[in-house]
Amino acid sequence: MDKSNHNLMFTNTLGYTKQSLILFLLIILAVFSAIVASTNGSFEVSVVNLIRGSATDLQSLVIMQIRLPRVILSALVGASLGLSGAALQGLFRNPLADPGLIGVSAGAALGAAIVIIISPAFLIDSSIGPFLLPLAGISGAAGVIFFLYLLTKGFGHQGVTYMLLVGIAVNAIAGVAIGILTYISSDAELRTLTFWTMGSFGGVTWNLLIPAIIVILGAMLYMAPAYRALDLIQLGEVEAYRLGVDVKGLKYRVIMSAAAAVGASVALSGMIGFVGLVVPHVARMLGGVSHRYLLPASATLGAALMISADMLARMVVQPAELPIGLITSAIGSPFFLWLIFRMKQNVY
Amino acid sequence: MSIKSEAVDVSINHVKLLQQLSVELLPGEVVALVGPNGAGKSTLLRVLAGDITPTRGNVFYERQNIANLCILQRAHYRSVMSQSQPMIYDYSVRDIVSMGWLHGDNEVHENTLELALQKTIKKCNIDHLGNRRFNTLSGGEQKRVHFARALLQLWLPDSSSKHRYLLLDEPLANLDMTHEISMLGVIKQCAEEGIGVLIVLHDLNLAAKFADKIVLCDQGKVVSQGTPEQVFDSEVLTSVYGVTITLSQNPLTISYY
Repeated sequence: MDKSNHNLMFTNTLGYTKQSLILFLLIILAVFSAIVASTNGSFEVSVVNLIRGSATDLQSLVIMQIRLPRVILSALVGASLGLSGAALQGLFRNPLADPGLIGVSAGAALGAAIVIIISPAFLIDSSIGPFLLPLAGISGAAGVIFFLYLLTKGFGHQGVTYMLLVGIAVNAIAGVAIGILTYISSDAELRTLTFWTMGSFGGVTWNLLIPAIIVILGAMLYMAPAYRALDLIQLGEVEAYRLGVDVKGLKYRVIMSAAAAVGASVALSGMIGFVGLVVPHVARMLGGVSHRYLLPASATLGAALMISADMLARMVVQPAELPIGLITSAIGSPFFLWLIFRMKQNVY
Repeated sequence: MSIKSEAVDVSINHVKLLQQLSVELLPGEVVALVGPNGAGKSTLLRVLAGDITPTRGNVFYERQNIANLCILQRAHYRSVMSQSQPMIYDYSVRDIVSMGWLHGDNEVHENTLELALQKTIKKCNIDHLGNRRFNTLSGGEQKRVHFARALLQLWLPDSSSKHRYLLLDEPLANLDMTHEISMLGVIKQCAEEGIGVLIVLHDLNLAAKFADKIVLCDQGKVVSQGTPEQVFDSEVLTSVYGVTITLSQNPLTISYY
């Protein structure tokens, strides 16, 4: 084997090792932020006491019933937004695709708002009650994604522009519909809706969380095997077909799992913008573009980021809270601008 | 054993692109598909690749109707190279070539992939590009990388006796003279190793020199097929291309292939 071949092999091993290392560090970061977030806040709980088992009943209660569900929810939401963003950016071959930008989150929000305002009381009180909000969010998200799919399929290269324009239109339509719902709502409903649209992980209970965990983890597991096909589709749909990819099946898999994950997330925590856009880009900058690395990295980074952002939201104006959507948009929107400027170079 | 189309018609919006087209590609031979623009060469290649389902007629891979083969099975029989789209994300050359690997990426196969990859990259003379980012390459270099990917897709263990086919749509566009020769050399080598190669070519001289068999198309039909000596007749060529074409065995040709 000559020297150049040897070099090639060397960089390859190095590439994989580097990606595994980054993934490992991201997992540590997520776990670390989860620990810090569960033990910090307006009510102090020491980690040491907790591990020793010498925490008071009140401390245990705060951790188990308030902090832990909240940290788990923020991790799940961050992971599903990051993962869906990465997969949609791959599927549409468009670095600007983001569940929020293309209207998927707005669709989910509309679904959830409909349930909050007009669903009859017996449905909410029945045993499917806790599943109602996530289900409505998922249906809203799925509706929008299906709509996008229909509209962009025939346009080939123009699909990119169309998708973003359709996203703007869908966002506007959902805004109008939510406005109408707000207008007809009662005071109590309005209160629920307003808190919900601002985006928050607060007030989540295990009862609501467990269906969401099932839906989101299920969607993420369903998405995971698509990593290789998402690499191949970068060559174009026809080329991917020639390499044995069932393109239709891939679209179905990615679109349905993104809709489920994002729909459930938005239903529980409100609209949280820009995470799905920013996280995959940061993950790519850290470790490369192949989806075998990018999908898990985006999910982990999304989780770590969201846990930290939520902690920030709780801590900055104690004992009150900032809406989490405000924090992510404050970080995300300048990043989005920077991305548009970078587009001139055509390298992501 | 072959890839063949039998009496294939393709019409799109009632426009007949191909009529009663039957061609066959055998293992180990190089078939050049020639004809003027709009003759249906690329359409025929896409029908053989399975991209387009013919309006009438059938395509067979090794005597099996491809309508009965799943997408992944088809990928194991043939690979295709045509005009490629720009890559959005920053893949490495190595990433792109290994996209042609169809045999899974678990630990057992990792070493096999590594060896097959090294061999293919070396065969296509792109060793020096191995560490580069794909998007920093020139058009011609990108073409050679895609060619390597198409070759890797046809990889078989040495013990296998299966046949493989390579379908190339104008693979020489964008290539300079040196790399043209080098790619033709690799293609010839593939044919010697038993791969059947179908190649859409514009340059009749190249086709004559290089192919075992010529298929001359015009207006969606086969005008004639056979060895270069049988097909290249100045009267036929003149009527097909609409310009006067004379054939000569020129003693003073500059021959570089």
